Amino acid sequence: MFVSMRLFAIVLGTSLCAALPCSALAQQSSPPRPAETSDAMVFANLCFQCHGPGMWSDHRQDRRGWEGVLYRMVGRGALWTEDDIKRMANHLTATFGAQPGKPSK
Amino acid sequence: MRELVAQYLSRSISRRGFLKGLTTAGVSLAAAESILESLVPVAHAQEARRGADAIKVFEGTGGACFAEQLIASGVKYVFGNSASEDAQFYEALVDRPQLKYILTPHEGPGAAMAAGYVKASGEPAIVMQAAVVGLMNAMGQMFNAFKEQTPLVFYSYRTDQTGRAGRDGFEEVANQEQIVAPMTKYSWLARRPDMIPETVRRAFKAAWTPPYGPTYCSWHSDFNDDKVKTEIIVQDKIDPRMRVRPNPSEVERAARLLVDARMPLLNVGDEVYNRKAIGKAVKLAELLGMPVTQARQVFVSFPQTHPLWVGGPPGNRLASLSFPKGPDVVINVGNKLMHNSPAPIVGRNVRFIDMRIDSASMGNVITTEVPLVADVAYGLDDLIAALEGIMTPAIRQKAQERAQEVRRFTEQAKTLRSLVTKNPDWDRRPMLSDRVTWEIAQFADTDAIVVHEGGSIGLHSFGFDPLGGRELFNYYGAHLGSGVGTAAGVKLARPNRQVICLVGDGSFVFGPTALWNMARLELPVITVVYNNHAYSGPHSRVVEKVAGGRMIQTGQFVHDYLGNPDMNMAWIAKGFGVDAEVAESPDQLKAALARARKTTVEGKPYLIDVQVARNGVAWADRPWTPPIRIARERTKKV
Repeated sequence: MFVSMRLFAIVLGTSLCAALPCSALAQQSSPPRPAETSDAMVFANLCFQCHGPGMWSDHRQDRRGWEGVLYRMVGRGALWTEDDIKRMANHLTATFGAQPGKPSK
Repeated sequence: MRELVAQYLSRSISRRGFLKGLTTAGVSLAAAESILESLVPVAHAQEARRGADAIKVFEGTGGACFAEQLIASGVKYVFGNSASEDAQFYEALVDRPQLKYILTPHEGPGAAMAAGYVKASGEPAIVMQAAVVGLMNAMGQMFNAFKEQTPLVFYSYRTDQTGRAGRDGFEEVANQEQIVAPMTKYSWLARRPDMIPETVRRAFKAAWTPPYGPTYCSWHSDFNDDKVKTEIIVQDKIDPRMRVRPNPSEVERAARLLVDARMPLLNVGDEVYNRKAIGKAVKLAELLGMPVTQARQVFVSFPQTHPLWVGGPPGNRLASLSFPKGPDVVINVGNKLMHNSPAPIVGRNVRFIDMRIDSASMGNVITTEVPLVADVAYGLDDLIAALEGIMTPAIRQKAQERAQEVRRFTEQAKTLRSLVTKNPDWDRRPMLSDRVTWEIAQFADTDAIVVHEGGSIGLHSFGFDPLGGRELFNYYGAHLGSGVGTAAGVKLARPNRQVICLVGDGSFVFGPTALWNMARLELPVITVVYNNHAYSGPHSRVVEKVAGGRMIQTGQFVHDYLGNPDMNMAWIAKGFGVDAEVAESPDQLKAALARARKTTVEGKPYLIDVQVARNGVAWADRPWTPPIRIARERTKKV
C-alpha cells in the first residue's frame, strides 16, 4: 500500500510538472495564477481518479478533440460539470494541443 | 384462506406462517390452530406420496439412467454438441419429450446459452460436450461461470473405454476430470455405470448449494451403453437447502456501526439479485438514508432510478465515487468484489461490514470489521430488524437529513450524466459508441433485458431497475464470445421480455454461432454489434502501459486491428439465418431499430452491424496492419 501510494504521488507530481506551463512553474514562489493552477488541479483531481498519465501524454489534438474525449468519460461514469470539462479541456489543449503544421493524432 | 391452505400443503409457508396468515385475516388463534390440526393428516399423506415418488429403481442403459436422473433433478433443457458416444442418451430422449435437447453448433456459445438460461430462469440445466475435445471449447464459458458463480453443470464422457483406457488412445487425455478442477466446485468421475445418477445428483447439489458455481461430471463412454439397475432420486431429497442466517451478535454489531456512522455507504452485488432481495436492499438503504453503489457484477442489484443510487465507481474502487467522499462505514451486501488493480476496492480507512454467503472469499483482500456470513435475504431481514430495534427518533432524523443530502447529489448527478449528449462529435458518422448506446436506450422497452459484452462501451442512459424495469446481464468473467449465446439463453428463459444484446465486434466474432440457435428456435433477440473494426480496449491499455514507446511513434500496433479486410457482421448473421443490416449514421440506426422491433414482434431475431468510430490515442484513419502477404511470396501460383 505504501509503495503504491508513493508511486502514485511520484506519478502525479511528475505529471503535474510536465503538464503545468513553464511560466506557472517559474512562479511557484510568487502568488499563483489562479486560472491556470485551477484548470490543472481540476484535471489532476478528476482524471487521476481512474487513469495514469500514459493514457493521454502521447496525444496531441485541438480543443474540440479533447472535449470529445472528456465527454466520452461522462458515458463511462464520470460525473463532471460543464465547467469541469471546460477547465480540463483548457488545460489539455494548452499542454497537449495540436502542434502547428501537424495533424492531430 | 384457500390460498393459505394451498401454500401450507405445498410447503411454501411454515406452520407458523400459516397461523400468522389466518390470524391476520381475522381468524382467532384457537380457531387457526384447529384448522391447522385438521390439515395435518392431509399434509402427512402428501408427504408420504412425495416420498414414494422420490426414489425409484430404474433399469436401462447408462444413457437412459442419465436422462432419468436429469429429469429427477429438474432439468428441462440440455445444451449440447453432437457426441457419438452419447448415443444411448439420445435414444432415451426420444421417449422423454420433457427433456429438451438444444443442439448448439459450438460448445462455447452453447455453454454461454446454458448459462444465460440458468441465470435468467433460476432453473437447472446441463451442458454436454464430446469428450475432452468438446470440453476444451466449453471451458472458456466454464471459466465465466466460475467467476460469476453460476450454478451450471457440465458433462462430457471420456472417450477412452474401460477396456482400453490408459493407452493414449483417440481423444484420450489422462485425468480428464482434473483439467477443470481449479474452476469447478466439483469434478468427478463415475466409477461404475450404475453410479451415473449419483454422480449427476452430486454435480447438481454442489452447483446449487450456495455459493453457487459450475460443476463437472464424467465417465467412461462405454458406461452409457451398459445395462444397469440403479436408483433415480429426485433432487429435492438430497438438497441441503442451505439458507444461512447471520450470527446474531455480529448483526447487532453491524447495526450499531451503521447507526453511529456519519456517512455509511451500501455496495450491492449479485447475491442480492439472485436471492430476489432487491426490495430488502432498498429498505435498508431507505431506513438509514444511505447512499448506494455497486462495484462491477453481472446484474444490477439496486434500482438506478432510486434517489439513493449514486452510480457505480468509475475506477472500480469506492474512492473513485464522486459521492460520498470519505464514507466512514461501508456495508457490502452480496458483491464478490473482484479486483482489477492492487488497490483494494474498499479502502483501509473505513470500517467494513461484509454480508455474503461466500465466506471463503471474505477478508482475503479487504479487512473486515463485521463479517455476516448469510443468505443475504435472511441477512437483510435480520439487519433491518436489528436496526429498527435501536433507531431512536434522533437517529431517524439524522438518517432523513442524510437522505436529503444524497438526494441533492443524485438530482445533480442525473443532470451531469445527461451531458453525454453534449459531445461535439455527437452527430458524426461513423457514430460515437455513446450515441449508439443512447439511441438504444431511447428505443428499448421499459422492461427490456440488456445482455452486454462490449468491453469499451460505456453503459449509460438505460436506468436499470430490477424491480420491474430494465435488467442487465453484464459480462463479468471476460472470456469473450459469451454475449450472443447468453442473450439466446435469456430469451429462452424469458420469452415475454424484449432482449437486446450489445456486443463489440471483437467479442462478437468469438461466438456468433448462437445466432443460428436464435433463428432455429425462433428466439427473437435484437443483437447490436458495435463495429469499430478494432480491439479498442486492448489498444487503449497498451498505449497507457507503453506511453511514448515505439508503437506510438510508428503507429504499428500488432494487436488491435480487425480491418483490412473489414468484417461485415450483417453478412455473418445472414449466413446463420438471421436477418440483418449495416447502420452508419444515427438516422440509419433509428430506422434499423424500428425494423428490428418489427422483425422481433413477428418472432424472428435481428442483427444490426453499427459502424462505430475508433476514439483515443494513436488511432489512424486506416490502422496499420502487418505486411504479411503470403500469396505474394509464392513461387508456384496454386
